Amino acid sequence: MITETIKKYNYINKSIPRIDSFDKVRGTLQYLTDIKLENALYAYTFRSKIAHGKINGIYTEDAEKVNGVKAVLTYKDIPALNGYGAIVPEIPVLAYDKVRYYGEPLALVAAETQEAAIEALSRIKVDITPLPVVHSIDEALEENAPKIHDKGNIARHTIVKKGDVEKARSSAYIVLERVYETPMQKHMFLEPEGGVAYIDEDGVLNVLAGGQTPYRDKIQISRVLGIPLEKIRVKNTPTGGAFGGKDDVTVQIHLALLAYKTKRPVKLVWSREESGIAGFHRTASKIKLRTSASKDGSLLSNEALIYLDSGAYQSFGPTILDVSIETINGPYRIPNYIIDANLVYTNNGIASAFRGFGAPESNFAIESMMNELADELKIDPIEIRLRNILKSGEVGPFNNTIRHAEGLEEALNRAKELFYRLDPSGPFQRTGVGIAVAIKGVGFGTLPEFPAAAIEIVPEGKVRIMFSNVDYGQGINTGNAQLVAEKLGIPISQIEVLHSDTKFSPDTGGSSASRSTFNGGGALLLACDKALEELKIEAASFFMTKSSDISYKDGNFYYKDKSISIYDVAKRLKARGKSTRFEATFEVPRYQEAVEGTLEVPHMVYMYGVIVTKVEVDELLGKIKPREVDFIADIGNVINPAIAAGQIEGGIIQGLGYSLIEELNYDMNGKPLNINYTTYPVPIISDMPFINAEFIKSYEELGPFGAKGVGEISIIPVGASVADAVADAIGKRSYKLPIVPWKII
Amino acid sequence: MAYERIEVYSPHSLAEALELLSQKQEALRPIAGGTDVMVMIKDGVLKEKELLNLSYVPELNYIKETENKLLIGATTKYREIRRSPLVNAYTPILIEAVRQIGSPQIQNLGTIGGNLGTASPAGDSIPPLFVLNSTVKLQKLGGSREVQIDKFFLGPRKTVRQPDELITEISLEKMEPGSYYFFEKLGLRSANAISIVSAAGIIGLEKTTIKYLRLSLGAVAPTVIRATEAEEEATGKELNENLIHVVAKLASEATKPITDIRGTAEYRKKATYGIIYEALYKIMKGFGKKVEYGVENTG
Repeated sequence: MITETIKKYNYINKSIPRIDSFDKVRGTLQYLTDIKLENALYAYTFRSKIAHGKINGIYTEDAEKVNGVKAVLTYKDIPALNGYGAIVPEIPVLAYDKVRYYGEPLALVAAETQEAAIEALSRIKVDITPLPVVHSIDEALEENAPKIHDKGNIARHTIVKKGDVEKARSSAYIVLERVYETPMQKHMFLEPEGGVAYIDEDGVLNVLAGGQTPYRDKIQISRVLGIPLEKIRVKNTPTGGAFGGKDDVTVQIHLALLAYKTKRPVKLVWSREESGIAGFHRTASKIKLRTSASKDGSLLSNEALIYLDSGAYQSFGPTILDVSIETINGPYRIPNYIIDANLVYTNNGIASAFRGFGAPESNFAIESMMNELADELKIDPIEIRLRNILKSGEVGPFNNTIRHAEGLEEALNRAKELFYRLDPSGPFQRTGVGIAVAIKGVGFGTLPEFPAAAIEIVPEGKVRIMFSNVDYGQGINTGNAQLVAEKLGIPISQIEVLHSDTKFSPDTGGSSASRSTFNGGGALLLACDKALEELKIEAASFFMTKSSDISYKDGNFYYKDKSISIYDVAKRLKARGKSTRFEATFEVPRYQEAVEGTLEVPHMVYMYGVIVTKVEVDELLGKIKPREVDFIADIGNVINPAIAAGQIEGGIIQGLGYSLIEELNYDMNGKPLNINYTTYPVPIISDMPFINAEFIKSYEELGPFGAKGVGEISIIPVGASVADAVADAIGKRSYKLPIVPWKII
Repeated sequence: MAYERIEVYSPHSLAEALELLSQKQEALRPIAGGTDVMVMIKDGVLKEKELLNLSYVPELNYIKETENKLLIGATTKYREIRRSPLVNAYTPILIEAVRQIGSPQIQNLGTIGGNLGTASPAGDSIPPLFVLNSTVKLQKLGGSREVQIDKFFLGPRKTVRQPDELITEISLEKMEPGSYYFFEKLGLRSANAISIVSAAGIIGLEKTTIKYLRLSLGAVAPTVIRATEAEEEATGKELNENLIHVVAKLASEATKPITDIRGTAEYRKKATYGIIYEALYKIMKGFGKKVEYGVENTG
């Protein structure tokens, strides 16, 4: 099947330079926080310095008196719903009855000058009665724990099960029970949250701020302001990095509210420290896993008790929990399982989407478990996986029929050749090698997705393409341009990609869940079909024949030995008053029903990856140096190998930070301790190991030209592979990330 | 966030600077590269409301030599130290440390006097100054004094400098040709990291016998410290694995570390042992760095 569909392409499978790279290298690309609007007000946020407390009063009179101050807004100024949140709109736009995390916004200030705004901030007084702070999952679960919300500290609890775990476990040869923990991780994108807002001459409220999902931002703004969607425009690209941290609303509603109230253009950009204090982060996790297997390593049962720390509110918590459920069984054949999954409130900021979305958390548990089972059973860690992975056509643990699992098998077999220890570089160095496997669904699983996209044939010789997936650095604009170039057979130089903007981009959804190529690309190819169908009729009219006699190839329509270019046909169409813009909607294939107890499990299309990590540990200093990392990925057909490899490498280095050095900490008062690049170190270029990224030849018929997705797959298995490699080097297994030096010596 | 109004005085001579300092005293904060002070201003934690900008005081920027010493002006930047033939020739251990300070951007602005004035126990230029038996010159209107480096620091962010005094010069002993040296720092990542533990050492060898050993440790006590017991133990002994173990153990015992987000106290003790052990082991095996006066003394 694969050999049949992979062929020679002209514009895909090619590492063409990113279409925005020239502007980026020259520094001419204007990010949204670079925008300077004439007559704009400077906006700042007044934040709580108490992590948990009852609000008795917010006093803004003195602040309002400062010369140049145009607005000091509190919850009282919110016209409609005081709430947002991608899944449940429970996050207050401005806190009103309680504060639930350090840095929670209480008021907004807009003034003619920065000085006036800062002066006003210093004059706002609040009266808050402090309540005991809940610092961790464990504390939140204590019997007499302070209640963060009226309903208690469990935001969501669900159980998903199949078979009879008790019976399976009692007949097993081996049963292992372990507790795994992972930390909160910050996104640390270079461009902090920020942007501008203004009301234009048509009365439309324009919000231009870094983000990932413009149409959902629009809905969230509309709910808060109580104004119709048509009166709102959201543009959130180009964005300087997001990684999930800009998927839910950050500054957008605050900007909208200020512009709406003051009728003036407003600029609001968070400082690095505000981003550290009040920006989102990855859920911390604590997972108890009991897994049983037979003597030959066949998995018999899996029992998981999952806790994710959602922080003070839910944001994407419920769906992150779903992905952690879906990931905890790995890509394995597990006939009996029970997953008890819990989303827990604490006073630790707000957890939200982060590359991998619950998968790195669960993957650390199940893949560490697989490595330890292999150890205990004296089976090669690759072999034990080969014995357990699901095959194509098999029905998986979540009742889904597995597609294209041969890619994973091939990747594991390739990993055998790469699985070896390096020679130590010095007398105190011990080397080790570790492995893990990753699986991640593309898109939103059983949740319906109907991405739309458009192409416009511009008679002057251009094809303009429009979709709302955001290019925040991952290169979707380039990838989608390549798909359209391939489909129409026209050079990339003739394709113009409009940055995602609700003013003219159809609703393709956002950039998240590794979905943009699959969904955006899928919709664009349908739009191309629509265009060709329509233009073919026009070409037929030009040749005075019928459309079934017309063929199309590489930018031209043919009739017998005569031809006319796509642009000339578009010109004719336009001359007759018809539109040359064609829009189409892609009905994303999915399972209709979610597994009981979940919102979106399972997915239909999965990416796969196998990682081999080779480390060196200094036995006296406990210093872990990742020296080489191999990653073999099955991401479907690869549209742009260089960009895809960049995604793989970026995920690995972000995963190494997560595994070795990164951890967001809060003090006893619930105040975050590491909020900037000095206090929250992330890996830098000299920390990079040699990375070998390889792609399995693979083709997913449901995706555009056989593509699946790539953004999240590589970060997912890094933690388990590092822990495994360190264990191989020094004989000590780690069950908690990050594996900082003082935990191993 | 707290952008308060701050007055900046920019004298163009040392005399003018000392005059201002004698008038204003505590109110005035000396600033040179600003790599620490500017961050304190931004964080709203600088207590002084006025700055004494030393960038335009020409007398404070130099590297000179006497017969036995190198003299470095307080506002000499790390980058200038790295590129100095004099420092390369006579106190290469300082180069080793300075090139590991922060990032190139920090090295382009940060000064050696600033590192002393800030008095962080994790300041990376300080351990080498300890083993170079340095003295710090403090000048005030109408007088000056020299303070030995191990008497200069009182605790984190605290020194013996009086409010009317200015750090003007640091003098270092030239290293002996043929002596071995090391500077090692341990951070959470490979560069641009704040030290969890740092160590500097100079060792004089007569074949395999230790003539003298000087060891200093950073980030493991309220100030940088000399590991004097370890030094004494080593003097006159054979450099072998057993001695290295004893020396590293004594150095580790000399520390008084704290636990913070960059490491536990227990780990800092273990890592002190490890860092000293590995550095001395390397020298024992013949892979250590050696002082050679190969450079023209042109300054």
